[in-house]
Amino acid sequence: MSEPWTASVNGAPVVADPPDDERLLDTLRWRLGLRGTKEGCRTGDCGACTVLVGGRPTLACLVLTRELEAPEIRTIEGVAHDPTGRAVVAAFSAEDALQCGYCTPGFVMALTGLLADPRGRPSTDRLLAGLQGNLCRCTGYAAIVRAVERAREGGR
Amino acid sequence: MSRTDAAIKLAGAAPYGPDLDAPSMLWGALVLAPVAHARIRSIDLDPARRIPGVIAAGPDEVARLFPKPADPERPVFPVDDVVYRGQPVAAVAAPTRAAARAAARAVRLDLEPLPIVGDLDAVAAEGSAPDPAFTNVHVHARTGDVEGAFAAAPLVVEETYRTAGIAQVAIEPHACLVTPEGGGFHVHTTTQSPFGVRDDLAAVLGLPEPSIRVEGTWVGGGFGGKAAALIEPYAVVLAAVADAPVKLTLTYREEFLLGRSTLPARVRIASAVDGQRIVGRRVELVLDTGASLPGRDFATGYAIGFLVGPYRIPNVELEGWGVRTHKPPFGPHRAPFASQCAFIAESHMDEIARRSGVDPIDLRLDHALREGDTTVLGQPVGPFGLVAALERARERRARWRTPGVDGHGIGVGCGFWSTMTGAGGEAVVRIADDGVTIVEVEREIGSGSVIGGLAAVAARTLGLPVAAVRVEPGDTVTAPYDAGVYGSRTVGALGRAVAEAAESLRATLERRWGAGAGRLTLGVRSGRLVAVRGPDERPVGSLLTPAERAAGGLAATGRHTGRSGSIDERRVVTGAFYAYTDFTAAVQLAEVDVDRATGQVRVVRVAAFHDTGVTVDPAGARAQVEGGVAMGLGTALTEETLWAADGRLLNPGLLDYRIPTQAEVPPIEVDLIEGFAGAGPFGAKGMGEPPIIPTAAAVANAVADATGVRIHELPLTAERVARALMPP
Amino acid sequence: MGFRLVAPADPRTAVELLRSPPSPPALPLTGGTDLLLDIDDGRADPATVVSLRRLPWRDMRWDGPALEIGSTAPLARLEDDDRIGRELPGLLAGVQAVGSRALRERATVGGNLGRASPASDLIPVLLALDAEVSTVGPRGGRVVPVAALVLGPRRTALEPGELIRSIRIPEPRPSAYVWQRVRPANDISQVGVAVAWSAHAGRWSVAVGGTSPTPVRLPDAEAELSGARPDAARIAAAAATAARTAPFPSDRRASEEHRRRVLAVLFGRALAAAVGARP
Repeated sequence: MSEPWTASVNGAPVVADPPDDERLLDTLRWRLGLRGTKEGCRTGDCGACTVLVGGRPTLACLVLTRELEAPEIRTIEGVAHDPTGRAVVAAFSAEDALQCGYCTPGFVMALTGLLADPRGRPSTDRLLAGLQGNLCRCTGYAAIVRAVERAREGGR
Repeated sequence: MSRTDAAIKLAGAAPYGPDLDAPSMLWGALVLAPVAHARIRSIDLDPARRIPGVIAAGPDEVARLFPKPADPERPVFPVDDVVYRGQPVAAVAAPTRAAARAAARAVRLDLEPLPIVGDLDAVAAEGSAPDPAFTNVHVHARTGDVEGAFAAAPLVVEETYRTAGIAQVAIEPHACLVTPEGGGFHVHTTTQSPFGVRDDLAAVLGLPEPSIRVEGTWVGGGFGGKAAALIEPYAVVLAAVADAPVKLTLTYREEFLLGRSTLPARVRIASAVDGQRIVGRRVELVLDTGASLPGRDFATGYAIGFLVGPYRIPNVELEGWGVRTHKPPFGPHRAPFASQCAFIAESHMDEIARRSGVDPIDLRLDHALREGDTTVLGQPVGPFGLVAALERARERRARWRTPGVDGHGIGVGCGFWSTMTGAGGEAVVRIADDGVTIVEVEREIGSGSVIGGLAAVAARTLGLPVAAVRVEPGDTVTAPYDAGVYGSRTVGALGRAVAEAAESLRATLERRWGAGAGRLTLGVRSGRLVAVRGPDERPVGSLLTPAERAAGGLAATGRHTGRSGSIDERRVVTGAFYAYTDFTAAVQLAEVDVDRATGQVRVVRVAAFHDTGVTVDPAGARAQVEGGVAMGLGTALTEETLWAADGRLLNPGLLDYRIPTQAEVPPIEVDLIEGFAGAGPFGAKGMGEPPIIPTAAAVANAVADATGVRIHELPLTAERVARALMPP
Repeated sequence: MGFRLVAPADPRTAVELLRSPPSPPALPLTGGTDLLLDIDDGRADPATVVSLRRLPWRDMRWDGPALEIGSTAPLARLEDDDRIGRELPGLLAGVQAVGSRALRERATVGGNLGRASPASDLIPVLLALDAEVSTVGPRGGRVVPVAALVLGPRRTALEPGELIRSIRIPEPRPSAYVWQRVRPANDISQVGVAVAWSAHAGRWSVAVGGTSPTPVRLPDAEAELSGARPDAARIAAAAATAARTAPFPSDRRASEEHRRRVLAVLFGRALAAAVGARP
């Protein structure tokens, strides 16, 4: 495909020309310079590369950029532009829900996407179920669970 | 709300190794050996070089560009033999990552297969010493009259245990960017030890140390896997061939294949028991050290002491062998091999308790080491919080038991660790009106020990709030030497350097103002630092010379030189054993629910009692306990590297190597015990590693409590538990 | 190295692009959660990837009692459907067992069937629900029961160029899917058992996954069950038959012996869940 690829990334229009076999993860990180989305396992098992596409948590390592037609993409760099995202960031900060921080962008994006469920604010259990695809090796998840509860309350 | 790195990480603005970037950089890729043992007949790099833009490097390029390695035992690429599957035998670089991968696949290897030693059983039959031709290290120590004790004892408990290999699984893979610069190299890498990388590169490549500048990045998890150089030599070689920057990031599969973590082990452990006293202990440890080089292993001699545990046991014989197999070399994973030792020794303690009719916690209290006792190797025990921790565990167990849930089991696990202050380090601390700055080389790996712990030490020394202190990481040119962030030593060792420098600053300011000794304190007024002498206050800057103010503040260097205790060498028959620098107790309680039909173990809750000396960074300490317990649960229940007889790793990925998810980590009750001083400043003890040590032990003992059956292998998978529960 | 990506809007174009000789240089792409991994591993090296995203197969609809699922509908859509949760609880459980939520935003039923993994969580459920697929292919379209479709790991009865268009589940059924794996989430099942009661046919269907070469129905175990609420003795007998007859392999995930033992236990739990799920 030789037409340009267009998208809205963190609210701003983007035009790029990635090859057909390029993953969204690499387009974001190396073509658009947005390296906040992390490269982990690249097999869809760790969740570190989670971004929002059309508001939905998406594993950027397993999506071909060109598969997405004029997508609306949100990454960690733009999550604070949205009240739910801000609440999640505030909750992670308040609860020290990170150590090395490598899994953190993936968790923040996944949680932001889950909280924005159009059917209504999910229960903590449902949020945690939705986060089972995000692995953390440092925190033991305890502080992350506290952040999920706090974010659900609205980041207070 | 205490982590000062939260904002940058939550903004996605913290650069990690895989994020490194330079104009016109080439992407590197490794060529890995497809078999575990083979003679290298030839390596043909030309098919790779025919791909446009590709450069390639093998042993010939290394010999040409780096003709004087200082450590010929550690060539960058093997010259004669491949010794583990996945061993890098060559490397390539290309303008794109895809081209680099294609180039790596194009390299042609001509290998002559050689016999493969796949596991420790192949070279170490049960009941006899391993084949010396495959023995990397042999340690042997003895105290008292072991034969006599065993001969006379009314009860001998003897068991054999096996433990599995563990993979590091930091979420961030290894990554580095190497740029030729000024006749040398600028190495930008994710590492727990910039000076360690520098010294490794200098040794392996035969370069003068000052020609290699190593700069760390934010680290996405280390756990020991980033404590030494791993991929940097390949990137340096590629950068030298290309005379251009080279970026090398491991694929996740390569993370598993290159290993450098815990490997399997087999232990025979026996105790002579008289009534309720353990009067003798014998331990035989056979540790698979993979393709490690002979004489370079420290794990065997260090870990073997944990097979006695933190107990007073006379008449002890310890013998251990690190054997060589065609697996990747053994490397340090958080408290190297200590969790496995604790599982073995603590399961054994529970077995002794059962057979001699003693409560398991009472048995441990009766034998617990206290300050003033001596260890098995004759070292005096310093302040030690084990008894306090056990007593709290006993109270908690009583609370958990009422009302007890039918079918649940509760188990205790103990261990101990030593804050590794044996290696030295220096830090510079600077004070000015706008605050205190610590200049040091280490980067934050996640525990908070660098950006939080060091700052807390300086703050406490100076009597200032932590917010007045910041850490400014340098590199191996701009910052003084430090050994690295590992062994729970950051606060203990580098922290001592920081404390010394900070105290020296305070004393200097005191002298300059003519204050009597101890009469000057510091404070903060509207965000500026002030010195306080009696009723008087003045800006800190007013006590500095103009030159000091221009240089950013008054600076002092603090130094910690390695220190450790000593053992009684007369007890050593052969090999290197190590003394402890302090005695950090770790006690955990686990409650489990076992599905007897399927063998599935569910951990209901964990209580962790940890001996911190003085808790310099309470939020950081709690975080280390929560994270360490979760890792320990993985060691207990799900994590094992699976090896085929031909040396192939069967589960080199997250699908079949399972670290715990959130659903598997239960509530963890954290109890930090102060008052038993450690080797660190103010008596602090290192907290990075102790929390992982007793978890598998506590879970295994809980499973035995729930089912009446003891499993002698880690991990306690459902299949192992179910099989053990089957009627005979 | 590298491939061309095309996304036809017309199923016939997709079929044409994909029908090539036995080693096709063109492969279909739905969610990508399997194909892209195969490409990364070197197990697949297509010159062309034919994305099915523009085909009109992304929706679900109820057709009387039957549920028709478009083959490229993301699993998350099924997961969020309340009616599926009520009327086909076994299907919901099977869907929720697949990977993680983020994965389910992309993964599809069609992709899962096409992959035909012996450890699939969806295939046992679809077998127990007597599901069939509708295809489009070079010789037109046909209807194939899932049992006849899935032949072995990565092997289906589809001809070159033939694509699954939709999956049809004939009726709502009290049903359940229960599994055993190492981790409670984000893992591959060692054993999965799906059960469903058809009031219309007056019989239970039982299907198991983790078997070799494919998930299968267990007719011998089904024959031991009669009536909507079998008693404990019947369940035990059927469980033992299931454990004995299920074609389990031994592999690095679990031994055959452990799988049989686990199935004997899960069988009763699945039946209890399905019976409990009846409205």
